[in-house]
Amino acid sequence: MSLLRVRYSKGQFKIQQMVFIIIAIIILFGIVSVFFISVKFSSLRSDVEDLRKEAVLTQVRKMTGAPEFNWIMSDDCSSCVDLDKIFLLKDRNSYKGFWNDVSLLKVSRVYPLYDIGECTTQNYPRCNSVTLVNKGDFEAYESFVSLCRFDDTLKQTKCELGKVIMGFEGVE
Amino acid sequence: MNRKGVEFTFSWIFAIIAGATILILAIYLTSQLIGSNRTQRDTFVSGELANLLNPVETVLEDNKYSVIGFSTETRVYNECSTDGAFGVQRLSTASASSRGQWSGQSVRKSVYNKYVFSRAIEQSEDEKLHVLVNPLNLPFKIGDVIIIYSGGYCFVSPPSNIEELVLDLSVDGKQNIGINLTNNVNLCPQNFTRVCFNKLGCDVNVETTSGVVTKSGKSSYYGSDNDALMLAAILSDTEIYECQLKRLMKRAGELAVVYNKKSAYIEGSGCSNNLASDLQAFIASTNISNSRDFARQIVPIARDLERRNNELASCKVF
Repeated sequence: MSLLRVRYSKGQFKIQQMVFIIIAIIILFGIVSVFFISVKFSSLRSDVEDLRKEAVLTQVRKMTGAPEFNWIMSDDCSSCVDLDKIFLLKDRNSYKGFWNDVSLLKVSRVYPLYDIGECTTQNYPRCNSVTLVNKGDFEAYESFVSLCRFDDTLKQTKCELGKVIMGFEGVE
Repeated sequence: MNRKGVEFTFSWIFAIIAGATILILAIYLTSQLIGSNRTQRDTFVSGELANLLNPVETVLEDNKYSVIGFSTETRVYNECSTDGAFGVQRLSTASASSRGQWSGQSVRKSVYNKYVFSRAIEQSEDEKLHVLVNPLNLPFKIGDVIIIYSGGYCFVSPPSNIEELVLDLSVDGKQNIGINLTNNVNLCPQNFTRVCFNKLGCDVNVETTSGVVTKSGKSSYYGSDNDALMLAAILSDTEIYECQLKRLMKRAGELAVVYNKKSAYIEGSGCSNNLASDLQAFIASTNISNSRDFARQIVPIARDLERRNNELASCKVF
């Protein structure tokens, strides 16, 4: 076994020194970039959330005017929605994705309340809510409305207290 | 001879090349970052713009006028597609820098329940855009006709209902809504788009009896007695108008299906209305290929449907 003696010249030493400095600069740049990108993405995330929240807040106040919701039989009720129409809309496949920027869209009865929650063809109108969109994770906002429909026992229009609930999905 | 030279060692060459590479890379990344920042800001503006269209929508109102203000001069790109059950509205923006350079088009914001009538690229004037909103009732509310426009329009001898509408929205001319009224085409300001009603010789010509708007040699049909669509045809590009009208009719068809179900439902509850066949005819007519079909097919059926529904006392379907 023999020990090899390696001799470095002054030039080779300087190259090594320079390589180390460049690697250090690149690492520094990398750390700064990661920090900058994380700050930028966190502000982007909050901007997107703000936009989604704003979309829901501005829409929930105007839902009574949407053609799918509005109660046309009275000219002076701006807070009335047509519960029959909303219920009949529930299973329309074409409406899937129509309200694309909301993750929850639901109409609920506030008073009087029945024992059954979600409305189906078997229990309508003796039920409490009609859900049009439910994508799971959401932050919800509400607007109180009058739920109007044709009552088969009274044989005339009947309006009850309800609310439109809309939710938006947060950014993870 | 004693020549003195500068020592230019390998380490110097290496440092210069590495330094230059790092500097060029830094400059390139910074310029990319500034560009992406502008795109990000413009995308945010298009999202905000789509959100701003929610509060301007109508509930019981007949029409509405609003102004959208921007922080810099902005171009709004309006793209319309009839694909899918309801078609889609795509909005994007571009902004001008302080040196007057325009940024690239931002990411498009897709909206399915809005109908924006405008030119394909609408540029703000004094950082403002005019917004005119009218509900389209044919015979039930189908949606809001949202007209976004800039610049000036000069309406020459408009019919009384349009004159009243303009005066009403401009608070008797006190507020600038970008539309002037006159009886003489020569009195129109030079940079204004001239719109003639029932006579020729303007940039846009409107024939109110047959319900046709002609501009740049192209005709758009709105069906007579329909102020919302008449204004939309005047103030927007023909292609945008045709596309948005098709989208509105798709929604009309879907709504008519719901009303048809409702008519059967309330009939089952003892409230006779006999509107099913009329609603079926209306649904079949909503599949149009252009605005001429709309004026010929849908408008007469819709009027008939409206009359028949109004005749029903407490069993009205819509």
